[in-house]
Amino acid sequence: MSDYILLIVACIFVNNILLMQYLGNCPFLGVSKKMETAVGMAMAVVFVLVMAGAITWIVDIYLLKAFGLEYLRTLSFILVIASLVQFVEMFLRKSIPGLYAGLGIFLPLITTNCAVMGVCLINIMEEYSFTQALVASFSYAVGFGLALVLFAGVRERIILARVPKPLQDTSIGLVTAGMLSLAFFAFKGMV
Amino acid sequence: MVSGFLVMGGLGVAIGVVLALASKIFYVYVDPKIEAVEDALPGANCGGCGLPGCSSNAVAIVAGKASASSCVAGGPDVAAEIAEIMGVAIALKEPEIAAPGCTYGYQDADVKYLYQGIHDCRAAALLDGGSKICTIGCLGLGTCVNACPFGALSMGPDNLPVVDTELCTGCGTCERVCPKHIITLTSTSDRIIGEYVTDECTAPCQRSCPTGINIPGFIQEIRNNNYEAALAIIKEKCPLPLICGHICPAPCELACRRNLKDEAVAINPLKRFVADYEMETGKHITPYKAPGSGQKIAVVGGGAEGLTLSYYLARLGYNPTIFEAKPQLGGILRYVIAEDRLPRKVLDHEIEGILETGVEAKNNMVMGQHFDLNSLFQEGFDAIALTKGGFDSRQILQPAPSGYDTSVPGVITMLDFLRSMSDDKNTDLGRRVLIIHDRLEGLDLARKCRSIGAQKVTIVSKLRGHELPVELQDVKNLEAEGIFVKPLTMITALKGIARRLVRVALENTHPIGEVPNERESIGADTLLIPAGRLPEFLFIRSEDQSESETEEVTWETLEAFHTFPGDNGICTPPEPGRISDSSAVVKSLLSGRRLTRAIHQHFTSGLITPIENLVCEAESILNVTEVHNVALSDREHPDAMDVEGNSKKAWIFPNEFPGLNEASAKKESERCLKCGLICYRKQK
Repeated sequence: MSDYILLIVACIFVNNILLMQYLGNCPFLGVSKKMETAVGMAMAVVFVLVMAGAITWIVDIYLLKAFGLEYLRTLSFILVIASLVQFVEMFLRKSIPGLYAGLGIFLPLITTNCAVMGVCLINIMEEYSFTQALVASFSYAVGFGLALVLFAGVRERIILARVPKPLQDTSIGLVTAGMLSLAFFAFKGMV
Repeated sequence: MVSGFLVMGGLGVAIGVVLALASKIFYVYVDPKIEAVEDALPGANCGGCGLPGCSSNAVAIVAGKASASSCVAGGPDVAAEIAEIMGVAIALKEPEIAAPGCTYGYQDADVKYLYQGIHDCRAAALLDGGSKICTIGCLGLGTCVNACPFGALSMGPDNLPVVDTELCTGCGTCERVCPKHIITLTSTSDRIIGEYVTDECTAPCQRSCPTGINIPGFIQEIRNNNYEAALAIIKEKCPLPLICGHICPAPCELACRRNLKDEAVAINPLKRFVADYEMETGKHITPYKAPGSGQKIAVVGGGAEGLTLSYYLARLGYNPTIFEAKPQLGGILRYVIAEDRLPRKVLDHEIEGILETGVEAKNNMVMGQHFDLNSLFQEGFDAIALTKGGFDSRQILQPAPSGYDTSVPGVITMLDFLRSMSDDKNTDLGRRVLIIHDRLEGLDLARKCRSIGAQKVTIVSKLRGHELPVELQDVKNLEAEGIFVKPLTMITALKGIARRLVRVALENTHPIGEVPNERESIGADTLLIPAGRLPEFLFIRSEDQSESETEEVTWETLEAFHTFPGDNGICTPPEPGRISDSSAVVKSLLSGRRLTRAIHQHFTSGLITPIENLVCEAESILNVTEVHNVALSDREHPDAMDVEGNSKKAWIFPNEFPGLNEASAKKESERCLKCGLICYRKQK
């Protein structure tokens, strides 16, 4: 049990996918201007990452490893994740229109996001069991959401601040992201 | 190697098949029109349509929930494109643009504290409503400027937003972000039918003007040498500026804040000055006119009120026709007021201007003789307004056999009725009679009605039961007599067929909040009203017109003034601002304008909506009782030439009273303090 708790803490804070591993910086800067979109994106990532983590683990163990084709991992993962998102999108649109409207444009946005891809690859490299892979995927996604929401909150306030002209918008965003990342360094060595 | 090809190929094929199947199984139909409409929309997601963004508006348009012209930002071009996609005709919409409603930036206004916080009005407004003492003042931090998706707003030098009218699309984003509700969308039509409310910035003169002319606004334009613009501002509320310039008693000047220092600004002479300027140019300045809507409105009576009503109807896009009993238009203005107070050439000039806006006039047409309600509706009029004005000329003009004014079927004034009784005329009131009365005479009247054959007489009073005379409280015995008393009740509408009254709608008048207002409708053949003359009425065709083929039209009245304070239902005696009286022409202008509002709201939204926080005597409003830092200056007076040809100031004139000359007018316009609620122009 304590293994899992450690895993969760490690994935959310210590190895935060955004601020410590620097994966998925595109949505991190892109959708963090408003809290609303940040929350939407975080939800979508949780949803997709858990599914992608599970299915890529299965593909890796039962297909790639079984046939000794590990060198095709990246390629096949892209294929699997992209189609999975497509499928889920179609399914939601028909069956759960409410959730579809809520996740909206964020689903296709993260189809081949490096954070999603990265977590799937990490799961395999760390040689997690299926349950561990699921928990890790979920925790990484939560960490992603946490960082995104934190960052969006900061950015919403930055809008009201008097920022020097050359630093406005993306520049100040990157500076802030760096500082946030430094703050997360404090978790280093905790687990 | 081979297995790699096989696995990847197999994976690809398998996924392809699954997705193909899924797209069949989970297929959702999307109207291709939605995409087409969305492409046509500007994509600014400004929210001006009232929906979260362009894609939701596209869905709403295709679903028929929004009109093709609902995109305010796109304007007529986008509307036309969408209308083509949807295959519908578009209704033209008058453009609305943003207008900031504050005239003094925070550096010129009185403030409670110095604000140095976050540079955003919404944040600043959280601290006791902002730093200004004025509760409705602009905070000047430019939230609206940042919010404008079209770059139409900028902060002016005096820390007030400035609208670029070319770029403004009327999306309303600024209106939604402004925490003080200062910047609002407005159009000429809105201003014509608008009334001042307590939470907008108005000057004392403006509030006391019965018809509500934007006085500081037009004086400002005179200061800028822009006389035509000044006149356009006046004409948004007063279609007869020259006539008013001659004979208005000018209550605005009594309210002028300069009275606290020296003498009121010569507001009325200034108004006359720009109107004189128009008359000298020889042509009429016609400000904005809305696109035509095609509805025909008959206006019965060509006096000040009828002229006002038809002028504004024409400017809002209706086709009004005036029916005047006399050979010429003008009413009291022409036939009562002395010529040296109001020269007839002035009157002719103003009437000409009104007719030029698209008003038709038919003179020598007497209601009851040459036409009546039924014939007008049959001629295709969509509404009929009775603006019979402040004086009672009907007996001279229209010696009806009954001795009654028969222009409203079944409605008889009490005096007419009593006189015809004493003349022993053969009077038939029908079976069911309604009397509006609060006093004992009402009972006498009811008994008289019973004596000449009425079976059921109902006395309607706005008073509470215990406030009525004791005789009227004896309900049981009265009911045995066939007389019924309805306290706390007002009449809200009449309904009839052709030349007969059929039903009367009643509503109880419990003070607000006590009991929800109940409405009922009772049958009636005659309604006796206590007023000396028939009040203003607004008739429309009933919607339940089943027998539209027959000669007889079913009509009903609209509650034109129901939304104003002090309403006691239709058919009550004259009240200022409700129905016109002869005390001042400017009061008739107000009722004319309010009738326009009722007609316009009826034909656009179908509902005459109440105005919340209307400026009226009962409402207290932020004001000042003394002025500081204002230099003394003398009021300008018209010039008169003495025998030697020297200019001198004079107050008494043998013939026509002269107006201000241009130099005096300019000088006088500088005296205006350009007041807001508590701000005014101070010496620096």
